[in-house]
Amino acid sequence: MTSYIIRRLLQIIPTVFVALSFLFFIFFLLPGDPARLIAGGAERNVDPGVLERVEERYGFNEPIGEQFTNYWQRTIQWDLGESFLTNESVNEILGRKAVASVRLAIWAIIIEIIVGISVGLLSAIRRYSIGDRITTILTAAASAIPVFVLGFVLQYLFAVQPNKLDFPEWARLRTSGIGPDTWTFFFIPTGEQWRYLILPAITLASVTTALLARMTRGSMLEVLRADYMRTARSKGLGEREVVLKHGLRNAMLPVVTLIGIDFGTAIGAAVLTEFTFNWPGIGSQIVTSVDQRDLPVLLGLTLAVVLAYALVNVIVDVSYAWFDPRIRLGKGEQS
Amino acid sequence: MRRQRRGLKLLALIAGLSLVAGACGSDDDEGSDSGSDEAGQAEGTQGGDFVDLGTFAQGPPEHLDPRINTTSDGWQVGGSLYDGLAETDFSDPENPETVPVVAESWEVNDDATEFVFTIREGLTFSDGEEVLPSSFVRGWESASDPDFAGDYSYLFTFIEGGEAKLDGEADTISGVTADDEAMTLTVALSDPYANFPAVAGFQTFMPMPSAIDDLADQAEWERGIMIGNGPFMMEEPANDQEIVLVPNPEWDGTQYDESLGLPEQPFLDSLTFTVGTDQDTAYNAFEAGEGDATVFASGRYQEAQDNWATTIDTPFLGAYYFMFNDRDERVGGPENLLLRQAISQAIDREDINTDVYEGSRTTATGIAPPGIPGFEEGLCEYCGYDADAAEAAYQEWLDEGNELAEPLPIQFNADSGHEPVVQIIIDNLDAVGIPAVAEPIPPDDYFGQLAEGACVFCRVGWLADYPTYDNFTFDIFGTAALDGNNYGYSNPDFDELIAEAKANTDADAAGELFREAEQLLLNTDTGVVPINWYNGTRVYNGDEVANFVETPTGHVTWETVSFSG
Repeated sequence: MTSYIIRRLLQIIPTVFVALSFLFFIFFLLPGDPARLIAGGAERNVDPGVLERVEERYGFNEPIGEQFTNYWQRTIQWDLGESFLTNESVNEILGRKAVASVRLAIWAIIIEIIVGISVGLLSAIRRYSIGDRITTILTAAASAIPVFVLGFVLQYLFAVQPNKLDFPEWARLRTSGIGPDTWTFFFIPTGEQWRYLILPAITLASVTTALLARMTRGSMLEVLRADYMRTARSKGLGEREVVLKHGLRNAMLPVVTLIGIDFGTAIGAAVLTEFTFNWPGIGSQIVTSVDQRDLPVLLGLTLAVVLAYALVNVIVDVSYAWFDPRIRLGKGEQS
Repeated sequence: MRRQRRGLKLLALIAGLSLVAGACGSDDDEGSDSGSDEAGQAEGTQGGDFVDLGTFAQGPPEHLDPRINTTSDGWQVGGSLYDGLAETDFSDPENPETVPVVAESWEVNDDATEFVFTIREGLTFSDGEEVLPSSFVRGWESASDPDFAGDYSYLFTFIEGGEAKLDGEADTISGVTADDEAMTLTVALSDPYANFPAVAGFQTFMPMPSAIDDLADQAEWERGIMIGNGPFMMEEPANDQEIVLVPNPEWDGTQYDESLGLPEQPFLDSLTFTVGTDQDTAYNAFEAGEGDATVFASGRYQEAQDNWATTIDTPFLGAYYFMFNDRDERVGGPENLLLRQAISQAIDREDINTDVYEGSRTTATGIAPPGIPGFEEGLCEYCGYDADAAEAAYQEWLDEGNELAEPLPIQFNADSGHEPVVQIIIDNLDAVGIPAVAEPIPPDDYFGQLAEGACVFCRVGWLADYPTYDNFTFDIFGTAALDGNNYGYSNPDFDELIAEAKANTDADAAGELFREAEQLLLNTDTGVVPINWYNGTRVYNGDEVANFVETPTGHVTWETVSFSG
């Protein structure tokens, strides 16, 4: 197990290198001159002197190979550079954005796990019941509704309307922003913070919860048909124990995989949710950086996302051994 | 009993008079009136923390430092932190006037080549440092430093020696002299320019404190606490979530001319600009009571006007139009004049205003918008919708042996909301027999491509840098402005009229010359197709907020804004 974990962690290095190098070169293939864009070319005709200064300041007049080498020399030392636009340290930007993204992602995943697995489990146990049919329709709808539409609807229902109807302050949620920096144990909001967190967390969790519910249902249905489930019942075990201890655990492998992917996505790609709720996370900052051709910020934040995905995948893979003791990691798979 | 009845009658009379007096004195108008006392000074209730959701609803400012800022959004902050030599008084919208602010007065020589500004005594920056003529020199020298200069640094070429400074051939701007003893700032211009005080009030020309001398990199200034001489100051640096300003205790608005109607101190306890990501979210936040003002959200103009107070009645100094590339053989030159006239008359501008902008803009009858000194309504002879005349002009052009070998391409920046406008234009042109096709260009390089000749018939929007007629004529269509003029329009008669107007110190005579030049552009050459003029875009709670004034340059006079109490 230990050697497996070490090997998986080492695999992150080439993964990061390939991903970021690819992104680095793709950046220069994007339409438009990045120097001109940084100098404000989207809004006006750029002064040639200003353009020249931008090119010199940010090294755009150097050969791409040299820029690439310089970039990796800095990055290895965890110096992610400075934003082309604000000159702020990318390390500082990352620290700020990553914290916001992780907090939101944790709550989205908590909602997803609790609601998704519960609903999926119940649907599987009560297959073809009215409850099952209702949850099937609801999960289909939840996964079909665009995230930003859901976000705006929730803002209207829980923030705008309560204000118009003069609800007490505590009963009104917030439409946007991240609120005061009041957290305990890193991710538990205190004070007013929870009023800012609820709506984006629900919105972010909506689609993935629906998908997780469907995945759990399907996986449970397979497990419920298995011989060992019948054996467990015939041994006199209660239905709750049969389902939760024997059934659910065996159904969790694909579910855990999906949770891992969702967590990585929630950290680095929750763009629509972050834009809708003005939540200052990594995803929206990456999109903005592409738009503004802010290469250091783009690469720095992407590095963090790739690392997050890779680490989560390692955790997910390791968890397989816990869920299914038959799996021996690192020694060849045995069925 | 009779005494009681008399007393009751008197009481009823007093009560009735009170009611009448109250009704006459009430001001429940949702407009953006400035309350002022007899002396013209703004009145308002002291106190309150104002949250503006609209200025940066779509992202953080590119710059806050007025020396390098180019956006009106950034100027909301810059203009609150700094006061310049002069500004435009829009209290009479028909007759805007450049009035002195930090300058007490100025004198100009006969040929408008030299200005002497007298700086008011006793003004200070927020750190207590005195504002002197040399404060302006410090600011101008840093703003024209080749290693720091921004896009508006070209304005220093208006000053003698400015071009040499920008080219790195000189260490200072030779045409500027500061005398801190006499409190005068003398500016020698490179060419006659009677409107220079209006330009000198532009953000690039703000005074700077000596604290900037300690900076290793001037770009650091806007990342820290910027010290200014304006009505507000910073207590903390701006961040990517909000920019918070508080009243500057060193500022006293009553030290300036009464006509500006400024209070002794801003009425607000604090002014917070939130940084958002989306205009609709900002509007929802405003409706949820999380802020006191925002901007219109697309598709919600009517809703905003029905439910809130707006500044939509404030005409902006901005124009939306389409340009012909005079260098393109398909549309340029005198041989295609009839085609250009046909195109201009075929476009239903009212339809565009109604369908696309929900009536929030003003259909243009020229290029220079209302509010520009010298403006006159109806200069454009080909801006009225006349499909018959358009068809006739097009037919006459065809009869001369011309033809459009392929549909006329119409360029615009993609994904920026111009698609429906262009579609209406295409439909209008098609109705009179002129084939046209949309040619969207990626927004991030739109103007760069126009500069390289991509324009045939292309969309442009222009917001005034400073409220002068030449900003809407010379800066866009002048031959010498070809670095900013992407469209090839060049007419020596136009240039001559503009030069004469700029040098004329008589405002009325200058206005006549500018109008003559604009008519040459619009009618004789039909080099441009005006579509509409922008209007104010702010939405605020008229029941709670008073004195909310958005000037035609888009700047909100935050120092006069107050809560109704």
